[in-house]
Amino acid sequence: MSKPKLRARLASLSFTEKIKILEKLRERSAKIAGSGLRKDRNGRGTKRNSESGK
Amino acid sequence: MRETIAAINQIHADGVIGKYAIGGAVGATFYLEPAATLDLDIFVSLPIYEHLKSRGGKVQDEYIVIGGWPVQFLPPSNDLEREAIAEAVSTTVEGVDTWVMSAEHLVAIALRTGRAKDYSRILQFVEQGAVDHEKLQSILQRNGLTQKWQKFKQKYLEDAK
Repeated sequence: MSKPKLRARLASLSFTEKIKILEKLRERSAKIAGSGLRKDRNGRGTKRNSESGK
Repeated sequence: MRETIAAINQIHADGVIGKYAIGGAVGATFYLEPAATLDLDIFVSLPIYEHLKSRGGKVQDEYIVIGGWPVQFLPPSNDLEREAIAEAVSTTVEGVDTWVMSAEHLVAIALRTGRAKDYSRILQFVEQGAVDHEKLQSILQRNGLTQKWQKFKQKYLEDAK
């Protein structure tokens, strides 16, 4: 499926369905932040990420 | 999110706040494809942090965590935001009633705010045909944003053709 078609399909979902996707995106983002994979400008995992587990 | 909105509705039912409107990225998600966001923006007329803290809400920077979501309550700072709350569209999330700003108000507020991510969101609204242009023009005109819209159009919409 092309990107514009996929976007249109996602946009046509009900608000409830979209909120469920949004919650999954949020959980994924929190997991990535907690993994220390996000790097600071020096290429290290950020101090905040590694200390807070966020 | 269901729990979050149900708690906000309870505060509304208790008479602490009047009508509110979901704005920001969650508001935009009502019209567009879901976009990752960490918080929920609620536009509402009264400051309610003390009330929420007394009911067990945890304050975290400018947010209060309700139902696992950091919620930012934003008092309207101008006529545009007051109008956006008054004309918010009613909908439901997982069976819970709520209000979301109209697409045109979300676009006008994003234009006024003017950060890169706001402009990006406006483009999504336009590209996906989620905006009633006549209604948008009327809102922009009422709120002194016509010139800014012309500049935005010139830079991001007409150059792209």
